[in-house]
Amino acid sequence: MMDAFAHFSSSWVDPYLLLLTALGTLAGIYVGAIPGLSVTMAASILISFTFKWDVNEALALICGVFVGGVYGGARTAILLNIPGAPSAIATAIDGYPLARKGLAGEAIGLSTVMSVMGGLIGVAALAVAAPLISEIAIKFTSRDYMLLGIIGILLVGTLSGESFAKGAFAGALGVMIGMVGLDPMTAEMRFTYGSINLMGGIPYVVAMIGFFGVAEALSQLEQVGTRPIKQAVSKIIPSWSDVRRYLRVGLRASGIGTLIGALPGTGGDIAALLAYDDARRTTKDPETPFGEGAKEGLIAPEAANNAAVGGAFVPMLTLGIPGDAVTAVIIGALFIHGLKPGPLLLVDTPHLFWFIVGNLTLANLFLLVFGLTGIRVFTKIVECPRAILIPLIVILSAVGAYAIQNNPTHIYWALAFGFIGYLLKKYGFQVGPIILGVILGPMIDANYRRAMIGARDDPLEFLLDFLTHPISAILFVGLMLLLISQTGILRAFRK
Amino acid sequence: MKSPDTLRPGERIFAVLLLAVAVFMFREAYLISGFTGLTTGGVLPMLASGVMVVSGVIIVGEALRKRTSDPALPTQVLTYLFPLRLVWFTALLLIYGASIPKVGFLVASGAFLFVSVALLWRRGMLWAMGISGLSILCIYGIFRLVFQVVLPQGTFWQ
Repeated sequence: MMDAFAHFSSSWVDPYLLLLTALGTLAGIYVGAIPGLSVTMAASILISFTFKWDVNEALALICGVFVGGVYGGARTAILLNIPGAPSAIATAIDGYPLARKGLAGEAIGLSTVMSVMGGLIGVAALAVAAPLISEIAIKFTSRDYMLLGIIGILLVGTLSGESFAKGAFAGALGVMIGMVGLDPMTAEMRFTYGSINLMGGIPYVVAMIGFFGVAEALSQLEQVGTRPIKQAVSKIIPSWSDVRRYLRVGLRASGIGTLIGALPGTGGDIAALLAYDDARRTTKDPETPFGEGAKEGLIAPEAANNAAVGGAFVPMLTLGIPGDAVTAVIIGALFIHGLKPGPLLLVDTPHLFWFIVGNLTLANLFLLVFGLTGIRVFTKIVECPRAILIPLIVILSAVGAYAIQNNPTHIYWALAFGFIGYLLKKYGFQVGPIILGVILGPMIDANYRRAMIGARDDPLEFLLDFLTHPISAILFVGLMLLLISQTGILRAFRK
Repeated sequence: MKSPDTLRPGERIFAVLLLAVAVFMFREAYLISGFTGLTTGGVLPMLASGVMVVSGVIIVGEALRKRTSDPALPTQVLTYLFPLRLVWFTALLLIYGASIPKVGFLVASGAFLFVSVALLWRRGMLWAMGISGLSILCIYGIFRLVFQVVLPQGTFWQ
């Protein structure tokens, strides 16, 4: 026990590790906030020059970037309506309307406190319940992942926009974009039209940059002459009564975030969406309607996506399966440092496990400090006139799109997606479901086919499996309820 | 989720176009592997494009049910979708995209920033020049020097 505590606190007492964690968290906040820069990309780049470092030093920096980056995405979601990361898509739905009402500071302050709370709960779950959660997660089959992916896309379709049909259309369009390229199972060409550039597929970051960055810039052109983007940030530290009032929502969302984060391949984006939907359904009388600046709608995704960080480490450290893209990069780093993430990691190198737990806790505390103190400086960046901001967003989007694979074609893709996104937004479509479709489409495709092969290509057996396996049955019933509640079938039945 | 009751200019045409896109995508998805099996590469694309077709039909229906006082004139649709500022900014974007492989990222971005800031902000050439120069320096510092991101180079000017 004393050994575990000594390893837990090793980054707290070593000034160099303390500094690296602080730097990582601060850098993560800004990396997560800058449109076009992803935490995955930053972690990959960081790992490339931490190979020669001591493993604890590398982990201190990377854990800081991970925690800060997941939180940082919310800032641009609140201030600019451009989620810095997929995990902040749900944050924008109520965060941006709050900023438009002059409550940007309050929104960022509240999201910071709840993010830290979620993050700490996620880390506590990692420390205490890791074996239990990983036992549940390992029982998920391909069928369950397929259902989870479909629920994820449909949820975001129901969360925003004018109609469920528009959400479903956008989600399916995203799946189609995600299908472009070589079929990973049969190497068959899908929608490539003979182009070499399309064979590798369209990276989701390019689609995200286009649909969120460029489309937002084009949409904002109409308001250039009106007034610059000025978000009032008068009150940053949230009142105790506000924290107490929304504590229940935050705690509930943190629980959802931890559980979803622990499911391999899901991550903060699905966690945030499910938590948002849960908050929307369980909040009886919100002060402001959801979608128009409900604080519950801001708190839930933020607490959940930070809680998912701790959850994502559970399968990574105990099973060697990445919880999300960033933990996949971290697994690579651990291998390079001679460690083997998996069931034996906790037996052979318990010090490493406790170091990560302690370091993630420390990063969350730094997040509280930097999150509540750096807002004014940060908002200065977004207070500049739209006439400057719009071309800058375009240029940052171009850099971000190019940097993924050093491919200039991706810049053109981002610009084209931006134009399509602009047209869709003009007619009341939301671009969130498109991005979710691009990200989750390949996952649904691979898991559907695995599940169907498992059912020996027998559609009846495939469908029966949904009802005969408990986890699949729960997810299937959830999916059906979602469809029934959104398609008017229930209303027609009542009539 | 409530759809606005009034029809936006060109909304019905847009809905029909989306449906046409969905049908085209379904056809393209079918061409991948047809109905030859349940685990072929074309199954999910067909399912996804099928969802697009069904939701496209519903979207057309929703657009037809919306109230309208007078049908929008083609000029009104064009003004709604493509205001003048968007037209020239998009033209600038196309020139910017085309010039990156020729003159490189920094020169193309500097020129794009200068022209667009000068046209959008209208506070004089010096302001536009100063802001674009400073921005390019910051972008170079953050991306090239700190994050070691390789920026696109040009064939005429690297």
